[in-house]
Amino acid sequence: MKKLSAIALLLALALASAGAWATQDSDTPDAKAALPVGAAAPDFTLPDADGRAHSLASLKGKSGTLILFIATECPYSNAYNARMQKLADDYRERGVNVVGINSNSNESAAEVKQHAADKGLTFTILKDPGNQIADRYDAQVTPEAYLLDSSGKLVYHGRIDNSRTGYLITSTELRDAIEATLAGKPVEKAGAKAFGCSIKRA
Amino acid sequence: MTGGLLKAAALCAALACAAGLTSACGGQVAAPKQGAAKPAAKPQGAAKPEGGGVKSAAPKVTEIKEVDLKTLLGAGSVRERPLLVNFWATWCAPCREEFPDLVEIRGQYGEDRLDFVLVSLDEPSDIGKAVPEFLAEARAASFPSYLLNADDSDAAINLVDPSWSGELPATFLYDRSGALVFKHKGRVKPAELRDALDAALE
Repeated sequence: MKKLSAIALLLALALASAGAWATQDSDTPDAKAALPVGAAAPDFTLPDADGRAHSLASLKGKSGTLILFIATECPYSNAYNARMQKLADDYRERGVNVVGINSNSNESAAEVKQHAADKGLTFTILKDPGNQIADRYDAQVTPEAYLLDSSGKLVYHGRIDNSRTGYLITSTELRDAIEATLAGKPVEKAGAKAFGCSIKRA
Repeated sequence: MTGGLLKAAALCAALACAAGLTSACGGQVAAPKQGAAKPAAKPQGAAKPEGGGVKSAAPKVTEIKEVDLKTLLGAGSVRERPLLVNFWATWCAPCREEFPDLVEIRGQYGEDRLDFVLVSLDEPSDIGKAVPEFLAEARAASFPSYLLNADDSDAAINLVDPSWSGELPATFLYDRSGALVFKHKGRVKPAELRDALDAALE
């Protein structure tokens, strides 16, 4: 009798977790689910555009790491190319390393390489085959930023600033978060969203 | 020659639709909270055909702010018809690609059964040219169309759906009770959307 109820419980649990997975597999996972601010960012290993594998651990900056989900064809992401490169340039010497990830299934490694060359992006850009890391981080949009502190904890998630065109920048949440992290202070605004292109999942 | 005739026919249909919606909207004002949806009344009023619709009137796109968007979405109040809202931009390739599906679905369900509105996230400077030109080309001139010039994209996205990251396109369906009953981020899957519409119309 006890055995039977234990089996039933196991079955129920299995069904429940299957249900949960089914939800995560859909096109529209809930943003709350995957990686909340304050959580340790999971490590990963992905190839760059030349096929060389890099782990997140190997790309970590001494004082922090900025992960940017980007695209080659998205005009919204492209509007931020110069600003993303400037972040990489501004904070390299202060110990924050910038890592780009391209998770779009319709943009090849060769295109990522050509795009970086054309746009003058010198930070490491990784290709995320099968968008596994986008799924793990619940990245949905390009550009989408994840700032990790020196311990690898997520301290900011969201937009770079409030103005796609760059003409009317009135809030620079990402830069503010980097500065706070470098100063050893808590990040005041740990997230802000912007419209952008959807990541094309496989 | 045939193309021109076809175009003219489509335009006439579009204008007739716009006129039909105006009167439908007039009826709606009677409902207390629906009357608050002021922005909805603007474009159709302006799109009223004059002189039998011989001249091609450019689709009217109304600029709105967060507060107007909130009114437009109905804030959970009872509505006469389900409301389908598509967020898009001319710079977004999958948004452009899904327009034939959107136009077809609107034609199938009809304006007497479904309120279907478009919200563009283009730059406010595109309201006079790029947006209406695309709408005309996509045969979507008769949709009530808005351009959201948000003061804060973060607030705008969260007021639609806190689990939305802001990726485009994104489509939301509200039933007659004003409840959000279906959402899809990325290019719509017509069969899935029809199922949701059928359920909302039951």
